[in-house]
Amino acid sequence: MSEELLIVKGLTTTFATASGPLTAVGDVSFTLGENETLGIVGESGSGKTVLSRTIMGLQPRTNVAVSGSVQLNGFEVVGASEESKRSIWGTEVAMVFQDPMTSLNPVMRIGKQIDETLRVRLGMDKAAAKDRALELLELVGISSPEQRYRAYPGHLSGGMRQRVVIAIALACSPKLLMADEPTTGLDVTIQAQILNLLDRLKTQMKMSVVLVTHDLGVVATRTSRIIVMYAGRVVETGSTRDVFKHHRMPYTRALLESSPKIANHSHTRLQTIPGRPPNLLNLAPGCAFAPRCAYATQRCHQERPELEPSSEPGHSFACWNPLPASAS
Amino acid sequence: MVMLLGIVFVISVGAFYLIHLLPGDPAVVILGTGDNPHNRAILYKELGLNKPIWDQYFIWIKNVLHGNFGTSFISQTSVASTIRAALPIDVELIVLSQILAFAAAIPAAMRSARHPDGPLDRLLGATSFTLLSIPPFIVIVLLVLLIAIKLQIPHTGPSSYVSLASDWVGNLESLALPAFTLAIASFVVYYRVLRSDLIATLQEEFITLARSKGLSSRRIMWRHAFRPSSVALLGTAAVNIGGLLAGGFVVQYLLAIPGLGYTLIAAIAQSDYLLVQGIVLVVSVGVIVINFLFDFFINLIDPRISRE
Amino acid sequence: MSELLDEFTLIDRPEKNEPLGPLFWICLGWLALNIFGAIFANLLPLPDPNFGNYSAINAAPGFHHLLGTDDLGRDIFSRIVFGSRVSLAVGAGAMVIGFGIGAPLGMLAAYRRGRFDAVLTTFMYVLLAFPAIIATIAVLSFWTPRALLKIIIVIGFASVPVVYRVIRTATMNIATKDYVVAARIQGATDRRILFKELLPNVAPIGVSFLLIGIATVVILEGALAFLGLSVNPPTPSWGNMINESRTVMAQNPWLVIFPSLAMCLLLLCLNFIGDRLRSHFDVTEVKL
Repeated sequence: MSEELLIVKGLTTTFATASGPLTAVGDVSFTLGENETLGIVGESGSGKTVLSRTIMGLQPRTNVAVSGSVQLNGFEVVGASEESKRSIWGTEVAMVFQDPMTSLNPVMRIGKQIDETLRVRLGMDKAAAKDRALELLELVGISSPEQRYRAYPGHLSGGMRQRVVIAIALACSPKLLMADEPTTGLDVTIQAQILNLLDRLKTQMKMSVVLVTHDLGVVATRTSRIIVMYAGRVVETGSTRDVFKHHRMPYTRALLESSPKIANHSHTRLQTIPGRPPNLLNLAPGCAFAPRCAYATQRCHQERPELEPSSEPGHSFACWNPLPASAS
Repeated sequence: MVMLLGIVFVISVGAFYLIHLLPGDPAVVILGTGDNPHNRAILYKELGLNKPIWDQYFIWIKNVLHGNFGTSFISQTSVASTIRAALPIDVELIVLSQILAFAAAIPAAMRSARHPDGPLDRLLGATSFTLLSIPPFIVIVLLVLLIAIKLQIPHTGPSSYVSLASDWVGNLESLALPAFTLAIASFVVYYRVLRSDLIATLQEEFITLARSKGLSSRRIMWRHAFRPSSVALLGTAAVNIGGLLAGGFVVQYLLAIPGLGYTLIAAIAQSDYLLVQGIVLVVSVGVIVINFLFDFFINLIDPRISRE
Repeated sequence: MSELLDEFTLIDRPEKNEPLGPLFWICLGWLALNIFGAIFANLLPLPDPNFGNYSAINAAPGFHHLLGTDDLGRDIFSRIVFGSRVSLAVGAGAMVIGFGIGAPLGMLAAYRRGRFDAVLTTFMYVLLAFPAIIATIAVLSFWTPRALLKIIIVIGFASVPVVYRVIRTATMNIATKDYVVAARIQGATDRRILFKELLPNVAPIGVSFLLIGIATVVILEGALAFLGLSVNPPTPSWGNMINESRTVMAQNPWLVIFPSLAMCLLLLCLNFIGDRLRSHFDVTEVKL
């Protein structure tokens, strides 16, 4: 059993808003070992991005309260000062952001943006940093790196920009890579390329990856474990296979059914989940999904279910009226 | 570029025409007691004032383009040399005041942007209004009151200005008060603009990415946040400096600093047409040049703007 | 209500408009007081501002003379109240001219665009390039004898291009917004659009700028007084008073302080009210 790289226990993130406290992430716990890939899946508003940022410690500094524990290679992130967090950012953990147009500094050449990490964090001098940056650009599959080195982000295509973001994230060889919707907003053809690139790199550089997405297709073949989130809480978690084939929570089924499948006949109606995502400021008591759930019972509307283990090891779900076991 | 020249041309015409429209006759000043229609006619002929106005304009503008602004009727010195003597003083005053303003505004804005609603932010927010509401002439008068009365330093007289060439310490001393006064208003404006821009920029995603690289706050602020935020600041500076060039006269007049503003006031009082024309032209061109320069710098900083 | 725009961008928009606050009303009250004093100065129980009581020169503030007297024995408080007439008249008058001409032109030009806009705007921008202050000084220097009305007219006309530009820009920003385009498509007449869509949205910016403009003009009058270009003495004006005080500063610091205070307080109130109005009506401003 490999030493766990990432241990998250009871992580809760609350924003102080003008309309009251908003719990974006509620009591999330999981572990991640070395060389493992975890998928965090959910709709918009499920809290998955807030979760990924909080794990890294990148949440905003004001009006946010975090409780619980996040142990990254022995380093406790929750409650750590900004200064001490800086010691792990880049070298132990790094993030690939969703929109490369906004996550790259638009008025700085991309080469410089990569150099910066190398020179400041690894202490490389100018020439060494440039060499390494060019290596990184090649590593992420950018052709003619010398030319691109001097380019501004605006001159590059979306896919190339995302590769640059990945290069920056990998610059100091972190052990954990948080990929927050890395392909949303890119062309479908590019999406596959970027995901394959990430796969390759994670093996090459022996990293663990947390892949955050709303797209189940993305996690199906690239993750070993999955967490399904709804309204800021984990509603189901287990190995990828178990979640896909032996899921128990109706929301998971609804998610799976709502993505169009190649095997469907043409003109098959797209399944949608009725209703709207919940207002996190005004959560009703009971299970957050109950208002939209086809299997909701009286108890579901009154009492919030906790995660209970299912028949398969490592697989748990939170539901009072789960789907029958081994249904697929 | 052509448009700029066009504007300059129109301004020169405007200046010329406006001044000649005004009542007030140099002849009165020059001739003094010898003023009578006969002498006037002779004087006009001598000065070329009897020609039609368009001719006068063209003669003037032609000379200007050759660097000859004419010779003042009143003081009998070349307008160009008067301007040449006065302009550097304005430049120095502006440079000094802007250095003070920026040196104070930039760090203050950065600190406030990093800690919005913190003690410094609140303090400066409250005082900025107050500072904006005190016109420069009141600042000077009050400061002079303070210095002269309370600190018992004798009120400086008309010869207080010391040129850079002769004594640079004295020079800085004599310009300290006016530079400080002008810096106050500039400071308030720059602080507010930069602060609000920085706060907006700090919300952007690329700042979060920079943070995730493990870079220090200082580095993030100076290397990543400042550059995009300085665009508005430079734009404001351009307008502000242009305004100082044209409007710094009150301060100069009060403290007897012989800059362009001071000279202009005196010239108007004496109906010294040529000098007034010359100064107005120089100031207008100056403002346009400043705007042009700042646009250029803004383009350097943010290449997106040129691409738009 | 708070809105999660996407996962991580929380827009915190308060339900109501940003409150005006008690300070706003205090400033408004002070402004009203000033206006009241200016209009009804004659009816108030004030000593004659031009009467010099030579037995009480440079008196300190006291019972008989609330704020003291100047070097000619004239009551300072009375002179300040009468002096407010000049400042407020110039401020209001100049802005009436500036806005009366500049605002409609600006709105029309922004709305109509085309040749009308191009010609007018170019003309205005050329005027703007010409240093207005210098022109003001020049004209006032030669247009003797001095009169309050002349000052108002000159400053007023000088401010037309500035008002024009601000109103035009503001109107353009709004005219391109979708809801105005929608109104047009629905067949609303120009007149209706101008009055129902544009005017209510430009008004807050306009009013805010108006107040700041008054403040600027008051400062300008002060500056002109220093050059001897404001109203002739013995008519009291704040600028004149401060200017005159320079020579007797040592003997009578009150002559410096009180008019300065009066002017600064008025400016402070104008600026504050203008700024508060702006943030109250700017519903798009995001609270941090």
